[in-house]
Amino acid sequence: MTDTRTETASVGTVPAELVDYMVHEARLADENRYEEWESLWADDGIYWIPTGDDKDPETQVSFVFDNRHRIGSRIAQLRSGRRHSQTPPSKMRRQLANFEVLSEDGDVIEVAANFSLFEHRYATTIWAGRYLYLLRRTADGITLVKKTVLLINNEGPIKTIAFIL
Amino acid sequence: MTIRLETERLVADDVDYDQLILRDRVHGSLYTDPAIFDKEMRDIYENQWVFVAHESEIKEPGDYVRRRIGTQPLIVARGKDLKVRVLLNRCTHRANMLCQSDAGNATLFRCSFHGWTFSNDGRLQGVSFRGGYEQELSELRAELGLAEAAQVGTYGGFVFANLTGDAGDLEEYLGNAKGAIDRLVQLSPEGGIDLSAGWMKHDNNANWKVVNEVQVDGYHPLFVHESLYKAVKPAKVDYSSDELRVAVRDLGGGHSEVDYSREYQNQDREFIWFSSIPRTRVPNYVEAMEALHGPEKTHEILVDGPPHTFIWPNLFLAEMQVMFVEPLAVERTIQYTAPIKLLGAEEMSARIIRQTEGAMGPAGFLIADDAEMGERNQIGLHAQEPEWVLFARGFESETVEERGITSYDRTSETSQRGMWQHYRTLMTEKTND
Ligand code: FES
Ligand SMILES: [Fe+2]
Repeated sequence: MTDTRTETASVGTVPAELVDYMVHEARLADENRYEEWESLWADDGIYWIPTGDDKDPETQVSFVFDNRHRIGSRIAQLRSGRRHSQTPPSKMRRQLANFEVLSEDGDVIEVAANFSLFEHRYATTIWAGRYLYLLRRTADGITLVKKTVLLINNEGPIKTIAFIL
Repeated sequence: MTIRLETERLVADDVDYDQLILRDRVHGSLYTDPAIFDKEMRDIYENQWVFVAHESEIKEPGDYVRRRIGTQPLIVARGKDLKVRVLLNRCTHRANMLCQSDAGNATLFRCSFHGWTFSNDGRLQGVSFRGGYEQELSELRAELGLAEAAQVGTYGGFVFANLTGDAGDLEEYLGNAKGAIDRLVQLSPEGGIDLSAGWMKHDNNANWKVVNEVQVDGYHPLFVHESLYKAVKPAKVDYSSDELRVAVRDLGGGHSEVDYSREYQNQDREFIWFSSIPRTRVPNYVEAMEALHGPEKTHEILVDGPPHTFIWPNLFLAEMQVMFVEPLAVERTIQYTAPIKLLGAEEMSARIIRQTEGAMGPAGFLIADDAEMGERNQIGLHAQEPEWVLFARGFESETVEERGITSYDRTSETSQRGMWQHYRTLMTEKTND
């Protein structure tokens, strides 16, 4: 479970390198750059979109709880050219703000940002919430270990999310 | 308090449904006309049995969930007498929505507008500043309890309600679909299921009937789900094979199904319906099943697997998921999906949750594309020519089996025809009252 309400004091200013990383990940998602986005992930990566802010993914259903293998499948489906719910793909732009470092433990850093996302397909849909990232510093740079998306409307009905959120 | 339907509020009684629903086609306006939608809410949702909750969601006295029948907001609550009641979520003073939480536990609901309180069995308890009325409090209390569904019934843990009391016997209503609930529950060595893993809620810009039709459609998978089968993993059965023994069946009463059991029996393999896992993955489960049923019957149960059955008008037993729809408006439907936990089969639970997320819901590898089809359908329906939606496939392949009209050509539109013929009956019954 992720405690979303801890007011963990920011460990100083968020290093520019980490902000750049989050912005880069957002840009790849916005532009449907599937392979590049997939290549961000660590082998133990988890992409999680829960159905509430305090859910346990082991006992409760999530919208998305992808391990690295399923992240690969998701991208393969998007790249097949037959993922109808992304044909044509969404046009998207998202804004990230309120960056925070939540914790730092050896090579692993937990960072967070609020986001708003304008997604257009038939109509424009607004998505908003909070991103939580677990990043790992490696010899080859930063890898993405976990991305959690806390949608503000995750308990209510939501529209299709076949794009990368 | 009893529920009275205002028959006057609707105009679509004048429509001649016999002209809009033919044997092999239906008129497009049935999916787009708001007046027809209003009549459906009255004659189908409010006058019939409708699935509202599962007992496992409201196990303890005081537990409740918020739901709808048609567009009417409800509280489904278990009283301290353990009885499940379906109460209209409307304060009897000036109509404020009484309960705001999706789920919870409460013995009392307090209205936030002027502070009236109601117990979870619907009785009015307290009226603030009670001196202001001509009547005694006792009179007010007798008169102003919450409105309550006239009939509430349970089968296999599934709770159904009927607002008006005209729906007859629940088991009779379930008819040939009753066996599907039995088949599901039988997969549990404890004879029960649990939906505590919760619901995904998916907002569809489509008519509720469009959302239902695709659930028992054997014609679409190769096209709609091609991206999954080609890029990720093959379907559990070979949809392109002429040898495939998958049936579509009109169970009567609007209920229908896609039946994989004959195909599974042909292959005589267990768990085809569950990623073809070997028995060794779930040893305790198999042991418990064999202790209960013996080896032969257990083998049969594990070959046949869960039902893929739609229960009119809003419930879908989607193999290891339960789904249901809430129609919000003529072109807007909320689809709910929950993973099923089989009681006594804890080894399977985590995998079922992961399987549900993979296939179903707004981000699912399957359902996201089914929803896309529904929304495109809805757009297409606004073109006024041709006026008809065709359900003409496979008449010649149909035979009448004990459980209903059956076609072993899974591309037959037998299931949808069953829904529509029943729909016509319901929509014409009340017209001439
Ligand atoms: S509307 Fe509920 S107390 Fe007035
Ligand atoms: Fe489908």
